[in-house]
Amino acid sequence: MSLVADPGLVADSEEPGARSRGRGYGSYVVAKVLGSVGSLLFMLLVNFFLFRVLPGNAAQTLGRGRLNTPAQVAAFNKAYGLNHSVLDQFWIFLKSTAHGDLGLSVKYRLPVSQLIVDRLWPTLLLVGVSTILSTLIGVYLGIRGAWNRGSVFDKVSTGTSLTLYAMPEWWLGLMLIAGLGVGFAFVPGLFPTGGLHSPDIVDTNSVHGILDTIWHLTLPVITLTLAYLAEYSLIMRSSLLDELGEDYLQTARAKGLRDVVVRNRHAVRNALLPTTTVIALNIGFVVSGAITIETVFSIPGLGQLSTEAISTPDFAVLQGTFLVASAGVIGANLIANLIYGWLDPRVRT
Amino acid sequence: MALGLLLAVALPGLATGAPAQSKSPVVFHVAMLGEGVDSLNPFLGFQAPSYEMWGLTYDYLTGYSMKDMSPEPDLATKWTTSPDGLTWTFTVRSGVKFSDGVPLTAHDVAFTFDRVLAKDSVEGTNWLSYLNGVKSVTAPDDTTVVLKLSKPVATLPLLPIPIVPEHIWKNISESQMKSYPAAPTGGKPVVGSGPFLLVQGSADGSTFKFEANKTYWGGAPHIDQVIFQFYKNEDSAVQALIKGDADFVEGINALSVKRLQSQPGVTAHNGNSPGFDEIAFNTGSTSDSKGTKKIGNPNPAVLDPKFRHALGYALNLPQLITKVYQGAGLPGTTIVPPNYTQYHWEPPASEKFTFDLTKAGQLLDAAGYKVGSDGWRTLPDGKPIGTLRLDARSDSPTSLNTMDYFRQWLKDLHIKSQVSTYSSSQLTNVIYKGDFDTFQWGWYVEPDPDSMLSYMTCAQRQHSSDSFYCNPAYDRLYNAQHVETDHAKRVQDIKQMQQILYQDSPYLVTAYSAIGEAVRSDRFHCLVTQPNPGGIWLEQYGVYNYIHMKPASDTSACDAAPGLTGAVKTTSSGSSSSKTGPFLIGVGAVVVLALVGGGIVMMRRRTTVQDRE
Repeated sequence: MSLVADPGLVADSEEPGARSRGRGYGSYVVAKVLGSVGSLLFMLLVNFFLFRVLPGNAAQTLGRGRLNTPAQVAAFNKAYGLNHSVLDQFWIFLKSTAHGDLGLSVKYRLPVSQLIVDRLWPTLLLVGVSTILSTLIGVYLGIRGAWNRGSVFDKVSTGTSLTLYAMPEWWLGLMLIAGLGVGFAFVPGLFPTGGLHSPDIVDTNSVHGILDTIWHLTLPVITLTLAYLAEYSLIMRSSLLDELGEDYLQTARAKGLRDVVVRNRHAVRNALLPTTTVIALNIGFVVSGAITIETVFSIPGLGQLSTEAISTPDFAVLQGTFLVASAGVIGANLIANLIYGWLDPRVRT
Repeated sequence: MALGLLLAVALPGLATGAPAQSKSPVVFHVAMLGEGVDSLNPFLGFQAPSYEMWGLTYDYLTGYSMKDMSPEPDLATKWTTSPDGLTWTFTVRSGVKFSDGVPLTAHDVAFTFDRVLAKDSVEGTNWLSYLNGVKSVTAPDDTTVVLKLSKPVATLPLLPIPIVPEHIWKNISESQMKSYPAAPTGGKPVVGSGPFLLVQGSADGSTFKFEANKTYWGGAPHIDQVIFQFYKNEDSAVQALIKGDADFVEGINALSVKRLQSQPGVTAHNGNSPGFDEIAFNTGSTSDSKGTKKIGNPNPAVLDPKFRHALGYALNLPQLITKVYQGAGLPGTTIVPPNYTQYHWEPPASEKFTFDLTKAGQLLDAAGYKVGSDGWRTLPDGKPIGTLRLDARSDSPTSLNTMDYFRQWLKDLHIKSQVSTYSSSQLTNVIYKGDFDTFQWGWYVEPDPDSMLSYMTCAQRQHSSDSFYCNPAYDRLYNAQHVETDHAKRVQDIKQMQQILYQDSPYLVTAYSAIGEAVRSDRFHCLVTQPNPGGIWLEQYGVYNYIHMKPASDTSACDAAPGLTGAVKTTSSGSSSSKTGPFLIGVGAVVVLALVGGGIVMMRRRTTVQDRE
């Protein structure tokens, strides 16, 4: 990725000092990337066998009342490769995955890759935007709260974010739908009750279409952002509190720096590491979707796709979504590791 | 700034909420619940909503009547049968055109049926049972289709197979077919001859848009568009109806129906659906359809028809309907619902189960299941019955509650039992292994009960049978009715089969379920139920209502349909938005508003603090 082409690596032949640092980082990168590829390959295997323990089979669950005769069941199993033994299926799975083919959904009869692509965009919009918003607001609240700990702001923000964290997401979502979607008393229904687009939007990429999508996503994004908030604000708050007593802050103040500068340039920078870990991990989980909110707001995301596939069970879909989810987490971890290694040479050993 | 963004975001919504222009098309918005569309390809999908999509897009050789779902002309204007019952000749309507202008002829019908009949074809998975016994399909000319049969088939002329255009589908090979989406591509609608054209949507999607086929042979629909929006959550779908985003909501529970009935401008009902729920017994699980090897571990008691039959008197069905179904349903009797008036057998009063624990106890005593010294009933050989396993599906509250009541009634009869819960797919596994005594589930029954009746035959063990029921006398009647060309004789056989099942009780049918539906009757009227009266408005057999419903502004008389009554009339009030919300909802919204507002205020304060420094 772009980190490999980092100027720090290219420039290492010029300067002896940077050279040793660069080489150390280079091997660190190689080790980390190999490790990640290894985990991904391992997940691929786990992936296949993990879901085979699920009860039921597609012909029985999907075909109940439709596949009326043994001949119909046989034709169905043959068409979708369900008549092969598990080992044969594993071999077919390895071969097709190596060719980048994730197989056919036995429920929707469409390529799994197409189903995932269809669901990826709504998922990224919903969970991605909420993660970013909650990170920004949460970190901000955490910093403000820790810096003025015990203040009214701190008490209110910590109390509120904890309350929201403890609230079931679906309930919060339903309350928002009932309040702002349908309207109450003199407040009109400002937002839609569900879905991602208005049905009458022809081109979802037009300006009107994009505004319409934003309008549909407002309530679900607010719900998720509020639910995620505490995670970031609390960890930011506590790690900043740890820094408060440090001598270097005293020194900075003694230098005559303004309070805000002491906080932002010195304290926050050192307190940011644990928060970065949480953020990196959660960004990896974005592609897993948010099943409850997707359900409450009827947004066709990846979370819904995979949970629905369990009851069939639709192995190809489960393998595909699980692969995407594990690749997301492993990738985010890799990036976090690479950034750590770059920021802090001690991590490399 | 944040406030500005919020306003900008809200703007398109406010714009859509504005009154529509008088020239704008009449759109019928349907909020659908439950499973979505699994395939738009009529040879592939299984889920009920998919059938609705195909019904709007394609035509059928024969259709179903609105009154009782008996076969009636559709693409076929008439049909004749040879005296030996082995040749069926259908006359296909002329002048029918596909949406791309190509005429629909008998050759398209023969092509469609041939694809279904091809050996081991994926096309056959869904439809083969309707062409069972058909040897060949030919189209000697553009308006004649001839079916040659190896033996008479009683289910004909019922042929609910969507007729696809040969000139398009002949290019789809067998290997392409298993994943052929048959969805609109590049803005072009799916080619069909039905009353509507699918212009937007794909399997697994949540929105499907149809435009009226203005040149439909049966007359243009009175509405311009139908849009299906799939909701994953019943509350949001109901809210959408109240708000006016949806004109119809399908598949809601009895409590929502009750709530919507007091909503101005909305008409809601529980329509009788052709489905039943049952408590099923393990009547002898075997490894295959021949009964070669016994498998599983059924309790010896449930293997005995006398024991099962006695339990029929231990079910308080009216109480189940009131408590478990909230009144939306009818007490059940046999596996052919009373919706199918001509096939349903109603047990005479002398045979009919009533809630009578004394009688149940007497029958059990007579069969040898006497109360032992420990207060629990024993098997006829004196050994304890032990604990009966009552398996419920965790994904269905109805299932759990039914079994909870059943456990209580069994206890009153001195029989120990325990409720276990499984997911539907887990329970399927358990059933096929035979590791069960009883479970709760249900079936949908098609207008011809042949398939449903077949599930209780010996040959369906380890296939569609979940009770492992096997009775040669029943099988003989099944085979006889399957080829019986004398309708009256066939009906008699079918009724006798239901009587045998009622006596042997592999199933205790607990309820005929109902489907909750609600329509914005201030916007649309002329909806007719199927069956009539008492049935449902949408997801019928056929798509009558989409063609014949009218916008409320169209005050002309509803289309005449012979023998039908009860079209939804426009209600006088036109109020479209709810003015009252429950107190809690208001509080919740105020809290959220306060939080958002507080955040904005805090952001503003931050700048002033910095400015001060």
